[in-house]
Amino acid sequence: MPMLEVHNIHTYYDNIHALKGVSLSVEQGEIVTLIGGNGAGKTTTLRSISGLRKTSRGSIRLNGEELGAYKPHEIVSKSVSMVPEGRGVFARLSVAENLDMGAYIRRDRKGVEADLERVFEIFPRLKERRKQVAGTLSGGEQQMLAIGRALMAHPTLLLLDEPSMGLAPILVESIFETIQQINQEGTTILLVEQNALMALSVANRGYVLQTGEIVLSDTAANLKQNEMVQKAYLGME
Amino acid sequence: MKAYLKNAATAGIIFGIITTFLFLINFIGTAADLIGDITKSRPGSSILGLSAVMFNQLIFLGLIGIWAGARGSRKDSRLEDTWKHVLIGGALAGAVHGLIAGSLAFLVGSLNTAGVKINEYLSQILPEVIRIFLLNKTPLQGALFYLVFMTLMGMLGGLFGRGVLRSTWRKNIGARRKELWNSLTHHEKVLKIRANPLTRYVVYGLLLLFVFLMPLQIGQYWNYTVGTIGIYVLLGLGLNIVVGMAGLLDLGYVAFFAIGAYSVALLTAPTPHNLQWSFWLVLPIGIILASLTGILLGIPVLRMRGDYLAIVTLGFGEIIRILSKSVLLTPFSGGPKGVFNVGAPTLFGKPFNSDVNFVWLITLGCLLVIFVTNRLQNSRVGRAWEAMREDETVAQAMGINTLTHKLMAFAIGAAFAGLGGILFASRNQFTGPEDHSLMVSINVLSLVIVGGMGSIPGVIAGAFVLKGLPEILRQLENYRVLFFGVLLVVMMVIRPEGLIPGSRQKLELQHTDKSQAPPDTADASEGSSPS
Ligand SMILES: Nc1ncnc2c1ncn2[C@@H]1O[C@H](COP(=O)(O)OP(=O)(O)O)[C@@H](O)[C@H]1O
Ligand SMILES: [Mg+2]
Repeated sequence: MPMLEVHNIHTYYDNIHALKGVSLSVEQGEIVTLIGGNGAGKTTTLRSISGLRKTSRGSIRLNGEELGAYKPHEIVSKSVSMVPEGRGVFARLSVAENLDMGAYIRRDRKGVEADLERVFEIFPRLKERRKQVAGTLSGGEQQMLAIGRALMAHPTLLLLDEPSMGLAPILVESIFETIQQINQEGTTILLVEQNALMALSVANRGYVLQTGEIVLSDTAANLKQNEMVQKAYLGME
Repeated sequence: MKAYLKNAATAGIIFGIITTFLFLINFIGTAADLIGDITKSRPGSSILGLSAVMFNQLIFLGLIGIWAGARGSRKDSRLEDTWKHVLIGGALAGAVHGLIAGSLAFLVGSLNTAGVKINEYLSQILPEVIRIFLLNKTPLQGALFYLVFMTLMGMLGGLFGRGVLRSTWRKNIGARRKELWNSLTHHEKVLKIRANPLTRYVVYGLLLLFVFLMPLQIGQYWNYTVGTIGIYVLLGLGLNIVVGMAGLLDLGYVAFFAIGAYSVALLTAPTPHNLQWSFWLVLPIGIILASLTGILLGIPVLRMRGDYLAIVTLGFGEIIRILSKSVLLTPFSGGPKGVFNVGAPTLFGKPFNSDVNFVWLITLGCLLVIFVTNRLQNSRVGRAWEAMREDETVAQAMGINTLTHKLMAFAIGAAFAGLGGILFASRNQFTGPEDHSLMVSINVLSLVIVGGMGSIPGVIAGAFVLKGLPEILRQLENYRVLFFGVLLVVMMVIRPEGLIPGSRQKLELQHTDKSQAPPDTADASEGSSPS
């Protein structure tokens, strides 16, 4: 049984039919990437999974359990956490307070402390800037904070929405290395990206989303070789 | 639609609603009279072919129009604040504002011409008021006039906003003031004294002593004023939780004040029910009733956001007042005349009813509420409110149940207001519908904004400025309102974040002041816009 199984979901924004029957699955331990252009419906897919946007049809199952009836905060407590598009750090809270917010649902203080140590190990920069207000961090640091904050919930499934967005190439590379590291330490990852090249080089498998529909799905290696993907997303002729 | 146009249209709609409301409660007429008093214009005289009262009314409406334009032309953070945007934004905000005001003029004018007696439904709106609002013209002419007038005022407002409110000289004044303040408060010796824990206890001790002794000295009139300030501190702290911490704009806040006041009135007074319960018993009942009402109102309303929430709560506040006033409910609520001989607390058998006693009691209430607020601010719940106010969706994604947290803010804010209402009615030995008008909500909201949102000392300062200062200025007679207005404007210009802003607000304003680019990025601007 896959960890996450999305089956034929439809999601609307008023009369905009944003997802037209999206299906995908993520196995335990995998990095799966969902690539697609602007407005394809990537963010909407993640929002549907995390309960922030109600689907009108289809099913989303986590370890076999249907998530449809749950509220976003209930889904978080099922160990699914999200790094939102555009980072969404709380600009007026300090780095430490932001990380605290990530652990909002948790009561096990020991575990939270251990996870904080882990986050600081992954991102030493955040430790240095613990007391700084998040709004004054650079873009790269904010992305680290957003990921760190999501890790503070101790997720088994991490949803990442365009972590490379707006970052300088060097930073993109290091963020993707971190993503791999987090995965190797046992967290399953669903990675949404426009930067298809980077996403396909860290992922095991991938899906291609176009105007609300999955048009391709394959192993990452195969997708990299796929003519259509090369043309549309890898900028090759 | 471009963001700045949307912003302008929204401002136009909001100000249109504000103007409509001000008309419906005939605040426009009151304001025109005040302007007449201040400028000493003779009632019979005419200016530019308009009677003095019409002219004064237009001055007032013009100011609102300018304000609408200034808000409507507010710079979109991604756009340059160019003159073109300022003029178009101001004009659009003004036109929408004028369209709404004009439609209002047309509607009431036509109804009036058709012989409908509006004042039977809205007691303030006499035919005379309508005639003045229409400037003696036909409904259609009046409507067109307001469309043109508000558009012009909106453009003027746009220019005013760009040239004054957002100008560089204003920023400079702000920076200079901050420097001076910092050089005083961060002086070495001052810091040393501030760091000493003893200082704190001494200061608190002196304050308490002062609060205890002061009522004995200042006489009945000032005790009444100080008591009122205290009650507004309670209300301000409550609304501060709802608006300042949880970010919910509640314009019907007075409803909870009314519920507190009526609980104590109906349960302790000899009429209309002759229950005559003890004050101390009614105190928790009133507070609980107020917060339950907060939850009941909250359940349907809190799914709404921003403007809608504001309008629905505003309506709720008015409904409570209208119900309390209704003739039908008089046997239950005391009706338009209100409830007299509201009970006072007793302490060890002694009635607790002098002005001095009430100042003490109210102060005690304030201290309690300050303590609770302070604890909340630093609690888990406080942190969740903070997160929700910054970004509700992300807060949800962190696992915060936003609905229950909003309800909690509503309930706690309502409880504080309920306490304020109980103390108010008990002190005055009376409460009636007019104690609970929209003006109370507006006053409380103003004091929170003036004082600084999210800050406890700010709310206290705001209550003093808004409720205390007018009394002190009473010596200035007619000029008092003018002076007070000027003072408020000056204050908003030099301290836009409020007198004593909450620490978070301060941080926010400081780092926009510095506006230095973060080290590694061209990304902050493009990265953070949601697609
Ligand atoms: N809040 C919203 N309101 C209305 N339409 C939206 C909203 N968010 C996204 N959409 C629309 O849904 C579609 C998918 O958007 P999104 O999921 O954000 O795409 P992506 O993340 O792939 O760029 C787009 O057509 C977009 O315009
Ligand atoms: Mg997106």
